[in-house]
Amino acid sequence: MSGLRSVLFIQGVMIGFIGLAMIFPIMADWLANDDYDLPDLAAFSLSAIVSMIIGAGLAFASGATKAPLSLRDNFLISGLSWITISIFAALPLMAGNYQLSFTDAMFEVISGLTTTGATVLSNLDTAPRGLLLWRSILHWIGGIGIILMAIAILPMLSVGGMQLFRLQSSDTGDKIFAGASQIAAGITLVYSGLTLICFLSYWAMGMGAFDAINHAMATVATGGFSTRDASFGYFFDNPDIHGPLLEVSSLFMVLSALPFGLFLLALRGNISALWRDGQVRFYLAIIFLAVLALYLALLFSNIYPALDAARLAMFNGISVITGTGFAVRDYSAWGPFAAGLLFSLTFIGGCAGSASCGLKVFRFQIALKALHEFGRKLVYPHSVVTEKYNGRPITPAIYRSVLVFFFVYFTSFATIAVLLSLFHLDPITALSAAAASLACVGPGLGEMVGPSGNYASLPDGAKWVLAGAMLLGRLEFFTLLVFLTPGFWRS
Amino acid sequence: MIDWRPVLLVLGFFVSLLGIAMFLPMLADLGHDNEWHRDNWKAFAVSSAFSIFIGAGMMLANWGRVETLNLHQGFLISGLSWLVLSAFAALPFVLGAYELSWTDALFEAVSGITTTGATVVTGLDDAPYGFLLWRSILQWFGGVGIVIMAVAILPMLSIGGMQLFRMQSSNTGEQAFSDTSKIALALTTLYVFVTIICFMTYWGMGMNAYDAVNHAMTTIATGGFSTKDASFGYFLNDPNITGPVDMVAVFFMILASLPFGLYLLAMRGRVKPLLKDSQVRFFLGLVAIFTVIVLINVFSHYNNHLPTAFRHTLFNVISVMTGTGYASADYGLWGPFAVGLFFCIMFVGGCAGSTSCGLKVFRFQVVLAALWTYGRRLVYPNGVFVAHYNGKPLTNDVYISVLNFFFIYFATFATTAVILSLLHLDPVTALSAAGSAVANVGPGLGDIVGPGGTYQPLPDAAKWVLSVAMLLGRLEFFTLIVLLTPSFWRG
Repeated sequence: MSGLRSVLFIQGVMIGFIGLAMIFPIMADWLANDDYDLPDLAAFSLSAIVSMIIGAGLAFASGATKAPLSLRDNFLISGLSWITISIFAALPLMAGNYQLSFTDAMFEVISGLTTTGATVLSNLDTAPRGLLLWRSILHWIGGIGIILMAIAILPMLSVGGMQLFRLQSSDTGDKIFAGASQIAAGITLVYSGLTLICFLSYWAMGMGAFDAINHAMATVATGGFSTRDASFGYFFDNPDIHGPLLEVSSLFMVLSALPFGLFLLALRGNISALWRDGQVRFYLAIIFLAVLALYLALLFSNIYPALDAARLAMFNGISVITGTGFAVRDYSAWGPFAAGLLFSLTFIGGCAGSASCGLKVFRFQIALKALHEFGRKLVYPHSVVTEKYNGRPITPAIYRSVLVFFFVYFTSFATIAVLLSLFHLDPITALSAAAASLACVGPGLGEMVGPSGNYASLPDGAKWVLAGAMLLGRLEFFTLLVFLTPGFWRS
Repeated sequence: MIDWRPVLLVLGFFVSLLGIAMFLPMLADLGHDNEWHRDNWKAFAVSSAFSIFIGAGMMLANWGRVETLNLHQGFLISGLSWLVLSAFAALPFVLGAYELSWTDALFEAVSGITTTGATVVTGLDDAPYGFLLWRSILQWFGGVGIVIMAVAILPMLSIGGMQLFRMQSSNTGEQAFSDTSKIALALTTLYVFVTIICFMTYWGMGMNAYDAVNHAMTTIATGGFSTKDASFGYFLNDPNITGPVDMVAVFFMILASLPFGLYLLAMRGRVKPLLKDSQVRFFLGLVAIFTVIVLINVFSHYNNHLPTAFRHTLFNVISVMTGTGYASADYGLWGPFAVGLFFCIMFVGGCAGSTSCGLKVFRFQVVLAALWTYGRRLVYPNGVFVAHYNGKPLTNDVYISVLNFFFIYFATFATTAVILSLLHLDPVTALSAAGSAVANVGPGLGDIVGPGGTYQPLPDAAKWVLSVAMLLGRLEFFTLIVLLTPSFWRG
């Protein structure tokens, strides 16, 4: 069982790393120099020490092995890491100012790491700075974590059609991580660079430095945690802000929902790869149409003047599609069509290999091609034409895994919605919370979980269900569901 | 070029048949002693004459011996006959006592012929006999039509995995329709026979003959039109009823949801296939599971009185699941969990080759098999896993067409729901009406379209959208969609 030792070793390293990352909120609390922030400072310091000790202990006890990781180890690492990290990241929330219950703390942390952005906290404007920064950092770590997983690990595991994105087409299961570390370094660099530029733009337009850091991290991770109760609405109404803040934020949300691997290619001079990519084009077209439809709906309902309507439609539309979940106004109140449209958009998400969540654009493309090919076969049963995706032929195995993914996605959605209604949530809250959690968007619709509400008032059971939904959606289901098959544990 | 003559000949035959069938409601009206009711006979007389005239004209103009039909003609007949028949069937509603608008009349006719059972008419208890009888006849026709299509035609067209049910495995598209007429005749005989038994049982238990005829026809068709506003609830409170009439309905609804092809085998002495069929077992298992889950939940709603709670639960679960749409109680009041679950199970439907609607049980079985092999493949990338269904190996073709079916099903459902919300229906009404129409159930949820309401208050556009959704769902989507593809008309 050398595989299990490697798995534990990596868990130890991750826990230690989370402990290290707590230095930033500690510094933020310390710099704030406010008595109110003191309990938070203590909580973070204590949690940092505990995490580092346990992490280091686990790492040393299991000991590093050079043994290559098997497919099963990779599944274990991909699934387990998110859960262990969540537990340790929740410590400071339980010990700090708010004294959150274990349920609430886990919900908040999982919502952070999965880049969902659903929160149980209120009065954010006066919250301790360390706590706010910690939430943003969790987003940021979760975002880079999922991009690396989507580029380096998921394609090898053939999860939900991701085998289309294998970097070398000859790769098969076991000898996988050859160029992985190099790619990971490159992606991390791009991600950090994007965050930095986003921070500078926010700052230059008049956001305070602390707000700018937090929102930059939450934007690039397509997360959605804000430092204000009113989310981006606070800045929309703030006279200090000059410049097109909503437009810039929308741009960065869209960028974070594009495949990061292509940014890497673009940096190496191959910019046309980004423009010629079928997924990117399709995605931009969807965004354009969705925002246009939303804009027309807003225009006809006469709630806002024309220019405001355009900006709000663009920002909120993009925020929902990409799974970010920032809000400028309560779009629950935009009438049934806007609500229905935004609810449907929730499912789309972004491109594979990005920080965003949801069904992913390429799966829609594959499903459309499957339909097309199927329709032709109905009329001409003997025709043989193989559809291609970005130049690669689509095999029956890919069709199957993509379509199975759709099935699992909608089944999970329905199951979660029904489970939520077991806790006596009304249908709108249950449906929209289920969809928003699976697609890692954050706010749902209605009074409770809509953009102007928060998840604190939900019963504990519902919070656990939703936290599970976020993890399932974020890890593309099969990374977790595979643990439930008996075949996985048989050697 | 497509040879239209056989297509028009068959359509003409169907239209004349419909015209002849209109004699029955005409006679029912003439036999009534109330003036207003009796006047309704003229509507049927005029419509009947018109239908027979047009139908006979179409037949005479295209007279000739039909040797074989090719694939294109098969699709055209399957798709067009439902549209044409709906239009002619709506005539008596427009001309009759209620003078329905064309929109309402078509909605009612489509809802009848697709065995949905959604209605725009209230005051059923006092409605003209002919009017009610015509609705029941439409459902009865729709039921036998879909059984014949599902057993004899759809498997040849390979729609949504129906190729699994080809009678001889060697059949391929072109030479398909040879023994269709023999099978159709046998199925029709069986269908008539079961309806008569159902009628006798209802009658024997104290329903008057007229109610018994109507309900027998709509039970066997899993339709759901009733002659009472209170639907089946009326008979539970009627002192004239001497037996457990709701349990009889349960029995016949289940009977109508099993594959009719297996009954044919059973009547030839081969009972084993019926008992051993995995689809039948799976369906009965699902019924049992859902009944128990709902029963636990609504137990307290009926003051912990087990027999009452059980009867209502069983009746409504089966009515919703098989797509019948009778109600013995307003299950909208059973709390959010029961409502949410009802919403989900209405998508399940019955077995392929029955009169019931929805996704069909065998498709769930195929998807579960796909998930199973997929899970194995994730862990053992080089393994070869073949799942079987009723002894036949599942091929990639079957998987892909079934998964495509799921995709198009949910896409249609979501599109319908968004369009309905565009027409300013509230989310619960929009979602449940869309789901109920696509799955051909009938009643939705909420005050407007729930078991206690009707579709009358919906805007005209919504009724059209729902009519299209009902037809799409009933004809398994591809039968209609394929007519819209350019490649169908080419070559």
